[in-house]
Amino acid sequence: MIRRPGGELASRPLHFIWICDCSGSMQSDGKIQSLNNAIREAIPHMLRVADENPHAQVFVRAVKFSDGAQWHVAQPTPIADFKWMDLQAGGVTDMGRAMQVVAEQLKIPPMSERALPPVLVLISDGQPTDDFSGSLAELLNIPWGRRAVRIAIAIGEDADHEPLKAFINNPEIPVLQANNSEALVNYIKWASTAVLKAASSPASQSQVMAGGGSNVQVPAPPPMASAPPEDVW
Amino acid sequence: MSLLLTRGQVVWTESSRQACQVEDLLGEGGQGGVYRVRVADRQAALKWYYPQFSTPAQRRVLETLVKRGAPTSRFLWPLELVSAPSRPGLGYLMPLRENRYKGVADLMKRRLDPTFRVLTTLGFELAHSFLQLHSKGLCYRDISFGNIFFDPATGEVLIADNDNVTVDGEGEIGILGTPRFMAPEVVRGAASPSIQTDLYSLAVLLFYILMMHHPLEGKRELAIHSFDLPAMNRLYGFEPVFVFDPDDASNRPVQGAHDNLFFLWPIYPQPLRDLFTRAFTEGIRDPLHGRVREGEWRAIMIQLRDSIYYCHHCGAENFADPARAAGGICWQCNKRLRLPLRLQLPRQLVMLNHNTELFPHHLTADSLYDFSRPLAAVSRHPERGDVWGLKNLSEIPWSVTPPRDHQPKMVPPGLSLTLQSGTQINFGKVMGEIL
Repeated sequence: MIRRPGGELASRPLHFIWICDCSGSMQSDGKIQSLNNAIREAIPHMLRVADENPHAQVFVRAVKFSDGAQWHVAQPTPIADFKWMDLQAGGVTDMGRAMQVVAEQLKIPPMSERALPPVLVLISDGQPTDDFSGSLAELLNIPWGRRAVRIAIAIGEDADHEPLKAFINNPEIPVLQANNSEALVNYIKWASTAVLKAASSPASQSQVMAGGGSNVQVPAPPPMASAPPEDVW
Repeated sequence: MSLLLTRGQVVWTESSRQACQVEDLLGEGGQGGVYRVRVADRQAALKWYYPQFSTPAQRRVLETLVKRGAPTSRFLWPLELVSAPSRPGLGYLMPLRENRYKGVADLMKRRLDPTFRVLTTLGFELAHSFLQLHSKGLCYRDISFGNIFFDPATGEVLIADNDNVTVDGEGEIGILGTPRFMAPEVVRGAASPSIQTDLYSLAVLLFYILMMHHPLEGKRELAIHSFDLPAMNRLYGFEPVFVFDPDDASNRPVQGAHDNLFFLWPIYPQPLRDLFTRAFTEGIRDPLHGRVREGEWRAIMIQLRDSIYYCHHCGAENFADPARAAGGICWQCNKRLRLPLRLQLPRQLVMLNHNTELFPHHLTADSLYDFSRPLAAVSRHPERGDVWGLKNLSEIPWSVTPPRDHQPKMVPPGLSLTLQSGTQINFGKVMGEIL
């Protein structure tokens, strides 16, 4: 016998998309392994955030780009069922193509008309080898692309910040510079917890917030402790 | 995370100089992490702030809270400040939350399925606790799902995250509240959190708990495509319209999208619906004078709990509505309900179910809201299973006058009187009649 009529609290879908650089340079210094590891580390934390938030149904996907771009996890997957398959590195940096692949999926349909703002996390160690700005404009021209919370993480010193800044398209949200695997773990975790939370069910509002002018208040990223010298890329 | 504490690390309480050894990270929030720590031979919880939140202002807030002490044991209150000589940072010690307490998110996701009796108890405990806090001149500032825990078997509440509590009107830390729970005037930037805005957030929380829905999410919510901060500010701050506003039908719930309201709103008695209506109409228009007070919520939650009775066909809990004397239709099996015998007291009407208990709140004149021990309980006759009685669990005899009988009988402690309509009972300080 049910004790009370009705169902769960009404909720909206939240689409979270990893956009991962798998170009050849990601092979060096174990970067791709670090990225795989960081995302695996983040999944249980994402699950906890999703679990604590009755307002959102979180769906996760991933796009990889090197020579061209493909869905690595194509199906919007409930976070409880999400399993990370390791990415392999090799090829050029077709970041623009990745923008197009994401843009196609953020159109209505397949996206629903009503949702929470999607979260897009772009991770790269280099610079685009294809037409990035044209493709980015395509993404930013569609409503869900524009409304999305866009976060970018630069891996290592060689990453070009300009395309990442253009992707974020909001001067109040900085590009996150990860110079070691610990920083990468922390930033990936931050994007998949604090940012996910901000987009789905904003936590306590305080004056210590970054990104005040955007449609989602992105919390301040974690400050980084200095890295041990042997762990620098 | 390197910025927080690691297992085995020792930090020190500032005034009693006790070592706190970190055992486990229990959770991380926006301001820092909460750990289980060992202090001497017992366990406690430690909140340790991220560096950007380890501020002199936060320290002053905590010092004030420690000095004032917890309003009641329901608050996981800061007990003592904690720091480490070798590193910057700040934390505080508080009682550890027992495992039987669960978050409100579990209730909203229906991972918990408590009874209406438990939910009305939870509502009472929340109103009662915040009344105690507010009576001390303190303001909570951030009433929301994440800060409230309850025992799904009993409805007992625990209120966490008390480090944002400030003296009303003196807040120097920047917590404004959680979207969906913030009072419209705070969302609009027209007011800072205060006891008055706490009252609004409390009303939202109670509405969520009983209706499994937000009071302002109707047609207007459905019209929003991207549910982001500007949309929320409009819905919850600049154009707030209650879904059942009697004078404004523009935000009614929509079938298929807001179904819980269609199921739950009609099954509650009219006085509760009236109180919610006032909370989200006058309470929005007139933040200073229009809000429903904790005392009113406390009273109606107990009234609601006393009005629960069980469908004699399917056993589902239903609420007796004073406006529907004959009883209504069961929400579960759709059959006509039959009211049980009930006890009319000077201040209350209590349904006499198989498990009803009466407390000092009901049976003494001067102990409102004292539910510490039962003074009476409905009981079954030891030999005749079809006969029900009311057992005297108090220390004084009751004087009982059965119907059509003018000779009062004594019911000493430990014995029961048979339940029958028309019986008058003198409980010592108050009189009651079985209807």
